[in-house]
Amino acid sequence: MVNTMISCIEIALKPELVDAEAESIKKKAFDYFNININTCRTINIVTLEADLDIGQLNAIKDQILTNPVTQISSLMLPLSIDFKWCIWIGLRPGVRDNPASTALEAIEDILKLKFKPGEGIYTSKRYCINGKDLVLSDMEKIAGDLLSNPIIQQWKIFSKEEWNKKTGVGREVPKVFLNHKPEFKEISINSNEELQKISDQRNLALNPRDIPVIRSYFLDKDIQKSRMETAGLTKPTDLELEYISQARSDHCNHNTFRGLFRYKDISTGEEIIEDNLFNTYIKNPTLELKNKKNWVVSVLWDNAGVGKFDDNNNYVITGETHNSPSNMEAYGGAITGIVGVYRDPMGTGLGSRLIMGSYGFCVGDIDYKGPLKANLSPRRLLDGVIEGVKDGGNKSGVPTTFGQTLFNPGYMGKSLVFVTALGIMPAKVSNRKSHEKKTSPGELIVMSGGRVGKDGIHGVTASSEVLSENTPAGHVQIGDPYTQKKMHDFLLVARDEGLYEFITDNGGGGLSSSVGESAMISNGCEVWLDKVPLKYEGLDMWEIWISESQERMTISVKPENIERFMELSREHAVESTVIGQYTDTGKLHIKYNGKTCAYVDMDFLDKGFPKWKFDAVWIPPALRGLTEPVLSRPEDYETLFLDMLARPNICSKEWIARQYDHEVQGGSVIKPLCGVKNNIPSDASVIRPVLKSQKGLAFSQSLIPWYSKIDAFHMMTCTIDEAVRRLIAVGGNLETTGGVDNFCWPDIQFDPITNPDGKFKAAQLVRACRALKKTCLAYEIPLLSGKDSMYVDGYLQGKYGESIKVSALETMQFSAVSVIDDIKKCVTCDAKIPGDLVYILGNTLNELGASEYYELMGQTGLNIPKVKFNRFRVIYRALEKAIEKEIIASAKAVSRGGIGVGLAMTAMAGGLGIECDLGKIPFNDEKGGKRDDILLFSESPGRFIVTIAPENREIFEKLFKGTACACTGKVLDEDATLTIKGLGKKTIIDIPVAKLEKTWSAPLAQF
Amino acid sequence: MKKIKVLILTGFGLNCDVETAHAFELAGADAARVHINALISKKQSLENFHILVFGGGFSWGDDHGAGVVQALKLKNHIGDDILSFIEKGNLIIGICNGFQTLVNLGLLPGLDNDYKARSVALTWNDCGNFRDQWVNLAVNQNSPCVFTRGIDSAELPIRHGEGKFVADPNIIDRLVSSNQVVLRYADSNGQKANGHFPLNPNGSMDDIAGICDPSGKIFGLMPHPEAFNHFTNHPLWTRKKENLKRQGGKTGRLDTLTMPPGIHIFKNGVDYMRGFI
Repeated sequence: MVNTMISCIEIALKPELVDAEAESIKKKAFDYFNININTCRTINIVTLEADLDIGQLNAIKDQILTNPVTQISSLMLPLSIDFKWCIWIGLRPGVRDNPASTALEAIEDILKLKFKPGEGIYTSKRYCINGKDLVLSDMEKIAGDLLSNPIIQQWKIFSKEEWNKKTGVGREVPKVFLNHKPEFKEISINSNEELQKISDQRNLALNPRDIPVIRSYFLDKDIQKSRMETAGLTKPTDLELEYISQARSDHCNHNTFRGLFRYKDISTGEEIIEDNLFNTYIKNPTLELKNKKNWVVSVLWDNAGVGKFDDNNNYVITGETHNSPSNMEAYGGAITGIVGVYRDPMGTGLGSRLIMGSYGFCVGDIDYKGPLKANLSPRRLLDGVIEGVKDGGNKSGVPTTFGQTLFNPGYMGKSLVFVTALGIMPAKVSNRKSHEKKTSPGELIVMSGGRVGKDGIHGVTASSEVLSENTPAGHVQIGDPYTQKKMHDFLLVARDEGLYEFITDNGGGGLSSSVGESAMISNGCEVWLDKVPLKYEGLDMWEIWISESQERMTISVKPENIERFMELSREHAVESTVIGQYTDTGKLHIKYNGKTCAYVDMDFLDKGFPKWKFDAVWIPPALRGLTEPVLSRPEDYETLFLDMLARPNICSKEWIARQYDHEVQGGSVIKPLCGVKNNIPSDASVIRPVLKSQKGLAFSQSLIPWYSKIDAFHMMTCTIDEAVRRLIAVGGNLETTGGVDNFCWPDIQFDPITNPDGKFKAAQLVRACRALKKTCLAYEIPLLSGKDSMYVDGYLQGKYGESIKVSALETMQFSAVSVIDDIKKCVTCDAKIPGDLVYILGNTLNELGASEYYELMGQTGLNIPKVKFNRFRVIYRALEKAIEKEIIASAKAVSRGGIGVGLAMTAMAGGLGIECDLGKIPFNDEKGGKRDDILLFSESPGRFIVTIAPENREIFEKLFKGTACACTGKVLDEDATLTIKGLGKKTIIDIPVAKLEKTWSAPLAQF
Repeated sequence: MKKIKVLILTGFGLNCDVETAHAFELAGADAARVHINALISKKQSLENFHILVFGGGFSWGDDHGAGVVQALKLKNHIGDDILSFIEKGNLIIGICNGFQTLVNLGLLPGLDNDYKARSVALTWNDCGNFRDQWVNLAVNQNSPCVFTRGIDSAELPIRHGEGKFVADPNIIDRLVSSNQVVLRYADSNGQKANGHFPLNPNGSMDDIAGICDPSGKIFGLMPHPEAFNHFTNHPLWTRKKENLKRQGGKTGRLDTLTMPPGIHIFKNGVDYMRGFI
């Protein structure tokens, strides 16, 4: 091989300018490790492996890479910036390098040249660090535990003495060079054991129950004959086994939800077989509701659900998680997650335009100081996922209008990253219903967007396993929102020109899933893998087939449209390639340079695979030994109240919401933050997706996993109830509310050694599913979309070399969406005018089980909050009416922390005092215990805090006649206090609103 | 009435084009979203337009300094077309990523009639993060900028990671004395932010949020006028509405009471061109 020239260009900010990246490193080094850095400067390095002359290199340096106003740079020689230590951070081979790709695109365009095969660009960074007492071990900590992740990056440390002023960090580049001729293998499967062994070796994660079915197919005489005659194959190929592994994975096939559960209730002796939770509790109620609600357009089959927005437009919604990759590499996992979920609406129906996104982060205790070690500390992990969703969302040009972050020790085993996406599409495109699509024989299979590399291989099967030391790290990747945004814009134009018949995204399983599933419709396909554009040479056929390289869509194009499709693709600088053809042969036929490497019946996957089986044993909380705590009346309510506001799960997370562009697209109506200082979280967000229309789309999410400590049934009902109430509070309505369920559950397959409480967790899942159906039918909420992510468990390293399994709480993130007819009637939660009346709607009960208050006290309790659907519905309808009549000045759904926290939010948001008499709060004593702390902090569902103008009192009370509704106080002046009168008629809390806000804002403000 | 035609650039990671087109239409113009490559391939020509908009977004991912690659690409392929577009007296507005692009193209600040030199920059926010926040802007009444005529203050959102305005102090002095500084970050009374975060959200020198060229026909700003196209875009609109109601106002007419400042800025440009052509 001829050596290509390697050149380095270093760029840094001029010394007089603030280096914000370096400042953040200084701060984190101190916060994380107590290391004092005096000065730090960042140097960006661009390494070019290409035969370029000095004039070209200087042009690249001066025109592209250096801003003459703000930056200095150097070609070949390193910049001379003083340091005591220098840390270099570069990517590992094969990791997506977005800045390098855009540099390449710019250089080729501006210098009018084309990089030759083997030539390339690589970016890295070095940090020049000074500080009196800094030693090598400090640098190792910063390099290894702050600046890099060994899964994707490598680092070097140079002392001042070691530094070579001519060669700098050196010129090695992380080039992928696979000295490998692509091949496929036939694999012998003479016994179940042999196939099991192959599954283990290749990380196929085949379920042992599937193995005999797979073998009997390939050993069938007729099948063997046809495979031999047509394809010359005698045994299954590696590609075929990989295809089956992908398709049968829990991630793609939802084996858990389609499994067979033997559910037993210990207390009643009830034993019942639950066959297919999905059909019973999700599909059937959704179909039932679809028949009732004519606004439900398309559910249960496509990449996302479709609902009617107005006569001319439908909205699209779905939610995903990206847990396992984010736990390995927080930034990469999260950016890939958000960019990935954005492809779902793009691949729903004939494709929609993205209009909003949201996030939900569940991580371990933010200040965890204990002995257990996760792959990434909760704090570092949170920093990474925040940044990943930021880059992914902002660079996609999609507003991130809602999000929540919560902390619980259970998430140290596996943190959760929820990402949700909404799109909008015309109800009809080129005279076709936009939510319908199909593939037909003769149409061409086109792959658009990114190229294929080794990244992401076995991502799907990895997320279907408990995280262990052996999980392959290769599946971590970095999303590329830039490439995807170009593709998004291109595909919308192609859609409107009617240039394609079918579209779907490449997510988990890559082409294997997208082509495999879309070919089911035409009943067959022939794929030419040698046509698939690669990032680098040397991939085996099976790798091309299952690679999860991002930013790709699979599209079906009629031959007569292909020329225009390709022309448009070029115009948008998007790579598109014909990689095969849909057929009706009944076969999945894959070739490479004409030679067959897979030949499987399309319907093979439907045939005879056994259901997964689970034992589920329910032990009611009282029998598990849970009781109400013995807790006397607190005396110092003011300190208690302030401590509640400062709890990590209550306090301000403004710093996260501000990093997300929540207003791009110009339709922001209710933002994620509201109030006079724009810092209080809104109950829900509202956007105006069609700018010419007065209609809006309200969106909320709820996460209350703590209740699963007592009973996942009520966790589910309360979570959905809260999501619905949040929508109602801003002006949404039950009639048009649709939902998205995102289950995150620990492993439920019992094993006496590795999962001894598996039967209980399985029972929690069954109960949660029952609650899901019950709630959806009671509130008439069709489930527009949903996903399940099982195995949210992890092994943490302990102090003595042991490892301990930590499972996350059984978690549901429920998203709710509603169409608002007139956005001008929307409501925010801030108290508006002094003198307004403060009402509480809905009964409070002694329901502190698993509440924030009990958690503060270190207790769990037993009195779980319960949803009373019929009573709540009446209140919700009445509030809808009151908002429609525009007599509500502010509304807040009472949630975590109860009425106490809710009143504080209403007051802080308005910058106004509030006086409230606890004795007037509607209370139901069926569970006893009318006490000040219970009234303040009980988390009974179904409640709101609203304020109204005094002159609206009569009409308001008439609307709520017969419901639990009471005026409990009034709004006070600016800069006044939150004054709460206890049952003993004495004021128990009298705190200036400014102090509340200071306390609530402080805990995480420093991040 | 004469139709003013506005071209809004799209493609390569740009966004904000849909709402910018909508906002210009509210301002009375005909707006077309045109892919950068369509200008380069001459499928579309600047000659048919009166206002050119460099909009918000992340062109080329902004990986090598915001707006840098976009500026190079345009200069390389249609630099002369843009210069002759200016010479004809047409208008250019650059918003956020578009402002970043204009300064990298050298179209701003255009000192000494040099529309190619890079003499000012927009660099990383001092806070170290991308930030979405509404700001108060004080408008320089003596500025020649045609887009801000009749506007003395405005509230608009900023949404950027690289919005800190930086230049040599001599350049800043010249911009100030020639009244090319159009917008400054301010407090709610219109007083200069004096660098105080978060009033000045990014650490811009002299609180500069937007500048124009000496003719006032090329305008660049970090805040997003197109994001204030409807009164419900304002973060405190529900409070304003409630206050208005208590004063006996008719809330049904809220949206027609005042033109959102974002639209006003665009309308100034459209009206100016209507008088010009």
